[in-house]
Amino acid sequence: MSLPNSVDALIRSLQDVGYFADRRLATAVFLALKLQRPLLLEGEPGVGKTALAQALSQVLARGLIRLQCYDGLEQREALYEWNYAAQLLHLRAAEGRADGAQLEREVYQDRYLIRRPLLQALQAPAPGAVLLIDEVDRADEPFEAFLLEYLGEYQVSIPEIGTVRASATPVTLLTSNRTRDLHDAVKRRCLYHWLDYPERERELAIVHAQVPGASAALARQVADFVARLRSQPFANAFQRAPGIAESVEWAKALVALDTIVVDPEVVSDTAGILFKQREDVAALTRDMAAQLLQPEEA
Amino acid sequence: MTVSQFGDARTGKLADNLTGFGRALRRAGVRVDAARMALAQQAVLLTGLGREDFSAALEAVLVGREQDRAVFRELFDAYFKNPDVAQKLLAQMLPSAESKAEPVKRRPRVSEALAPVRAARNAPPVREDEKIDFDAAMTASDRQRLHHADFNQLSASEYQLVERLARDIPLPLPHYAARRTRPGVRGSRPHWPGAMHQAARHGGEILSLPRLQRRQQPLPLLVLVDVSGSMERYARLLLAFLHAATAPRHAGAGLRRDVFAFGTGLTDLTPAFRLGDTDAMLDAASHAISDFAGGTRMGESLAALRQHHARRLVGRRTLVLLISDGLDTGTPEVLERELGWLRRHSGRLLWLNPLLRFDGYAPTARGAAVLHRQAHGMLAVHNLARLQDLAGSLAALLRQ
Repeated sequence: MSLPNSVDALIRSLQDVGYFADRRLATAVFLALKLQRPLLLEGEPGVGKTALAQALSQVLARGLIRLQCYDGLEQREALYEWNYAAQLLHLRAAEGRADGAQLEREVYQDRYLIRRPLLQALQAPAPGAVLLIDEVDRADEPFEAFLLEYLGEYQVSIPEIGTVRASATPVTLLTSNRTRDLHDAVKRRCLYHWLDYPERERELAIVHAQVPGASAALARQVADFVARLRSQPFANAFQRAPGIAESVEWAKALVALDTIVVDPEVVSDTAGILFKQREDVAALTRDMAAQLLQPEEA
Repeated sequence: MTVSQFGDARTGKLADNLTGFGRALRRAGVRVDAARMALAQQAVLLTGLGREDFSAALEAVLVGREQDRAVFRELFDAYFKNPDVAQKLLAQMLPSAESKAEPVKRRPRVSEALAPVRAARNAPPVREDEKIDFDAAMTASDRQRLHHADFNQLSASEYQLVERLARDIPLPLPHYAARRTRPGVRGSRPHWPGAMHQAARHGGEILSLPRLQRRQQPLPLLVLVDVSGSMERYARLLLAFLHAATAPRHAGAGLRRDVFAFGTGLTDLTPAFRLGDTDAMLDAASHAISDFAGGTRMGESLAALRQHHARRLVGRRTLVLLISDGLDTGTPEVLERELGWLRRHSGRLLWLNPLLRFDGYAPTARGAAVLHRQAHGMLAVHNLARLQDLAGSLAALLRQ
């Protein structure tokens, strides 16, 4: 599919593949597509940063190429590496047969090149790829400096072969959990969007879409409960508020338990799905659950 | 919707308005350069001028940090004339007796950034006695701001002392083997690119196998400095010394350092510490710290650290340096819980206590007792006012 021609069209097509974007996010994505800039997404874990890339690749009918960053990520894992074993075999086989220059050409030919995600994204055939550089804050600063060059030019040079340019600029999404601030220079290359937890209606829509088995009443209770968990004063009691993924999981669990109405009993039995830390599970007492389940007006 | 509905109706030019808005953003401390402004114009043309889209488009292009979003939105509302806000603003400009409207609560940065614009718009000059302070609607935090740290710049001799100490007493920051590698002679993995190059030079023969060895990197450092009343005397030089000693020129470029000051609240000094010059750092710090020489609520401050900056603690190997006298006025239970969390999430939690002046000291104060229990290590500093001792003690603590 070609690029959507308006923000509304983008929202609709994202919705068709099950991603419910609010208008501000859709605007940022729309601009990133139109201006051909990378989009940097920040936000708490579980608000749909990675899911957006997946949805976008479906909407645009482009392949998704994902680079998961981690501490110690190096160029050879992100960009390319030579298949040394095969090269050595080639050298052995050619022993005494060819002259030096000839041999070098043979050894550094295309088929011995192992393409890693960043190179794959450059060489993806038209219309290009969706490139997801996930959790870029986990990689270290030297890698960020390299990324800076990559995102600026969308080209890399491989000494033995030459420069590889992008045939079609990949749609690039970067996500960060803010374990550290990214360098300003990288941010300047990118558009930026901070993903918040969804408002109640959007979360309700997501739960409905992802858990078709949940009744309307149950889905509403789930969305209400989670939304209030994330709001003050309750949020302070927990170390980490549940994300969208958690509320969807929770709704699935409630359906599996044949729950019709959420009560404090059920909440404390299933707290392990909403929270993944012992302290948080303990903090969600029955009293608090009862309080959270009370209607908003009270 | 037409262009002229946005921005200043007198000019009616989108470009001018955008430029003016960009200037206002810069005054409010949001970094916006000319290239960004050009991009913003392109973006606005692409999304059209629906109010929500317009704001979202500008935000996506002009904002690069989560912290700047709130400032951006307030400024956007005020600048592009939300009729409501304009009304309230106007009411705020009038002498307060006539003002019935609730004043718009607005952070000082935004007020200051808007000031020149508004001055130009409200042409009639205000007589001195009628002049209304922009801080009329002061919030509690604004009032707290007035009581900020008074870090003078370093005197020349102090500066030399700090520099000399930072040079002479290198902090032996512990290193760890990073996951990044470099070619070397030890290590378990072969360095194939090197081997291939060597082989190419020797007609395809591999004579020796170069290795990949792991790089050494200093452990990430998180410093928590108590700036409450009891620590007042030490805070300034302490910050100066830490800044110099952990600067890239002394500690190497790879060091990750996060610095927080705490008293009744928590202040992130990391941006200030990024400034190369120690005086500039002190200046920035004194602007940032709002609760200088106040009480100490360590537990609550640590809770704020956990809630908002938990990810500054990298991979459970961060070296946490807690500099405090342990005279805490907060709830001990909270402190206990938060310190427990900090201990579990850091590599080592070290406590530097300037009250440990004599050998018979026992941590009996409630806060100090908790600290003593939770910290991995504690160190006596006999006279923290003397920077030499402090630097030496810090180094000793790190060597433990």
